[in-house]
Amino acid sequence: MPRRRSPPSSTRLLLSIGLWLLAGMLLALAPPPAAAQALHIDSALSAEGDDSRFPEGAPARTVALPDDWSRSHPGSSGPVWYRVRFNAAPAPQADDPLALLATHVCASFEVQLNGHVVHRGTQMDEPYTMDCDHPQLVTLPAALLRAGVNQLDLKVVGYPLAQVGSRHRAGALSALALGPLPQLQARQRWRTAVQVTMPQALGATLLLTGGFMFVLGFFNRRESHLAYFGALSVGWALLGARLWLRDWPLPQPAAELLLASLLPLVTWAGVQFLLRYAGARLRWVDVGLPLQALLMPLSLALAGASWLYPLVTAWAALLALEAVAAAVFHLRRQWRGRSASFWLMAALLAAMAVSALIEVWAQRVSTPSMLARLAQLMTPLLLVLMGLRLVQQHGQALRQAEAGRALLEQRVREATAEIERNFRQLSELKIEQVTERERKRIAADLHDDLGAKLLTIVHTSENDRISTLAREALEEMRLSVRGLTGRAVRLADALGDWRAEVVSRLAQAGIEADWSAPEDLPQTLSARAYVQTTRILREATSNIIKHSGASYCSVQCQVADGDFQLVVQDNGEGISSEADGRLDRGHGMATMKQRAKQLQGQCLVESGPGFGTVIRLTLPLDRALEAS
Amino acid sequence: MKTILLLEDLPEIRAWLRKLVLQVFPDSQISESARVADALALVTAVKFDLALVDLGLPDGSGVDVVTKLRDVQPETQSVVVTIHDDDEHLFPALQAGAFGYILKEQPRELITEQLQRISQGEPPLSPSIARRVMAYFANKAKPQVNTQLVNVSLTDRESEVLLRVAKGYTLPEIGVQLGLSRHTIADYVKQIYRKLNVSSRAEAALEAQRLGLFGR
Repeated sequence: MPRRRSPPSSTRLLLSIGLWLLAGMLLALAPPPAAAQALHIDSALSAEGDDSRFPEGAPARTVALPDDWSRSHPGSSGPVWYRVRFNAAPAPQADDPLALLATHVCASFEVQLNGHVVHRGTQMDEPYTMDCDHPQLVTLPAALLRAGVNQLDLKVVGYPLAQVGSRHRAGALSALALGPLPQLQARQRWRTAVQVTMPQALGATLLLTGGFMFVLGFFNRRESHLAYFGALSVGWALLGARLWLRDWPLPQPAAELLLASLLPLVTWAGVQFLLRYAGARLRWVDVGLPLQALLMPLSLALAGASWLYPLVTAWAALLALEAVAAAVFHLRRQWRGRSASFWLMAALLAAMAVSALIEVWAQRVSTPSMLARLAQLMTPLLLVLMGLRLVQQHGQALRQAEAGRALLEQRVREATAEIERNFRQLSELKIEQVTERERKRIAADLHDDLGAKLLTIVHTSENDRISTLAREALEEMRLSVRGLTGRAVRLADALGDWRAEVVSRLAQAGIEADWSAPEDLPQTLSARAYVQTTRILREATSNIIKHSGASYCSVQCQVADGDFQLVVQDNGEGISSEADGRLDRGHGMATMKQRAKQLQGQCLVESGPGFGTVIRLTLPLDRALEAS
Repeated sequence: MKTILLLEDLPEIRAWLRKLVLQVFPDSQISESARVADALALVTAVKFDLALVDLGLPDGSGVDVVTKLRDVQPETQSVVVTIHDDDEHLFPALQAGAFGYILKEQPRELITEQLQRISQGEPPLSPSIARRVMAYFANKAKPQVNTQLVNVSLTDRESEVLLRVAKGYTLPEIGVQLGLSRHTIADYVKQIYRKLNVSSRAEAALEAQRLGLFGR
């Protein structure tokens, strides 16, 4: 709510630019100081007649200038003659020729000074040249001037009000000014600027910006209001086509019909712009406005040329009502939607309404006043301002879209990276799971199948040797399975397992055991190292029990220099030198050494007859850790 | 006269076990079964003093039979007879209420001795099982949100025995170290088994209740 109360800075900026432009324009167009020496002529003798001379015989009467045919000569289609008499007295210095200025002559005129033609409009037969907006300056050659009373005859050709679409194009003659040429030239220049140059410049601007925006909106369907605004601008510029083309190759009724047909088109564009800009789209309006644009020229054509003005006025009133309704609808939507453009649009539309009211008033009175001329400049100027605002909004939206797209791209990149990372993790996890499952399956198969068969042999074989072999095979198999599936084992736990096995086995065999090992070892062994060491120790224990005949055995474990050391020493017979040849047979010494080697360690056997046996096992801990 | 349940799927091994059991308990009456389903039916019909249960069976796990026995015949001694020596397989059976385990491939003399010891109330306990039991109770000792949990904890002596078993000391050694008789140490082990079972059952019941409450 508070945001809407105070117009946003961009709107303020645009408004102030518009005001400054307007003020600057008015200043630049400031009328030159009133011409003291110019003679203001506001009445003339008037008579109708199509001769090449003032119709002396026709009924003549004095009319006030400016003269509007619809009032002084209702229904007349001219030509109308005006006669003015003046004294050559105001003749200035001999250098400055005398001149006549008519700010509004519609449609065109011929000037005769003392019976001599000094000016004639380009096309004095129908269709007439439309000089209505162009101030006419006619030089009166000094040679034709007489001393004393001079006579000026003006033959004005034009169309009756009923046959034109706007009072500004109906037959009329403004007040005249007679004076030194330079002075009147200055006034003419100023008048031309206001009546011709400025409207032309604004029209050209509208044509360009309108065309640009139409294309922009046409190819950018989400911003259809831009297209309608462009159409509005172009249509408005075309309404001023008479400024550029004074001589149309078309008969008058056709030209007027063409111009009048532009009105519903412009209304269509304007109303649709207001609706679309407010984010509304009404189906019946979409259909109704084009239909109206067809209907209006049709009705004008059917009614005939002599009913043009009243019909166009009625149509214009209806179109204006539609525009007002659309404006109200637009502003209400903008207000409810707390749109940032509310204030700007309200100001622009209000200004347009004011200039429209002035135009209505100007259509009521006779020849267009200065105020009406300025009001006519207002609307195109406001359209240009509005266009600037729309382009600015479009640019902002474009920038936002660009930023949004960049942000989106960033998000997509992040999300993609995230997905890839997750996928990698997932697949790693999956591989791990699958591997683990496969290991477990193999382990279970070994137990269930091979294990059961070996077990059957263990317990059914009559041969002790075979059942022992089978038992050992079973133990081996189980250790293998454990190495296959196992995780790293804490060294302290491994020592507990080994101690329990070795000490209880030795105790059962009646051999005194002395186990010494440090407590609370933080190191871990890989499952493989654990299993291999278990086998080595089990083999050593079996050897002592079966072959050594020892009564005492000591096992010493320690960790030194990153190595795990195990020393098994007995007081048995030792292995005699002559037994060297079969050292490996039965005793499994080679197997023990082989196993130690696999773990990057070594297994040394020191023995001599009568000296017992010492087995030294050394395993590098860190590598044993890695080897899994 | 003892009534004994023998659950084993391999016929040769079953015959061998039967011979072995008859050797230890000469005038016992043995019911044999090769499937979990048959064993479960037997358990509800016949009263057993001792049950020798294999773990991996064609139609399921022997643990179910141990659980069932614990429910319907609490005084029956269930003994797991298995080829698996690792705690992964043994611990669930012990939690279910098995009173010891025997490894199948051991020599006949050793099994005979173990069977006798078990029937006299002295179950075996390996270092790895001891570690597993310690971890189980240590985990339970953590502050629990649920106050309903039946709090079964080990006494200091029981913990001490467990710790020493885990370090690889044999029961006689521990007896010497603590100045206690071998029977007293065996009693501690028995208590540990019992508490493991009681605690596990309470936990399972609570878990079932929780699932029931939230599953509704």
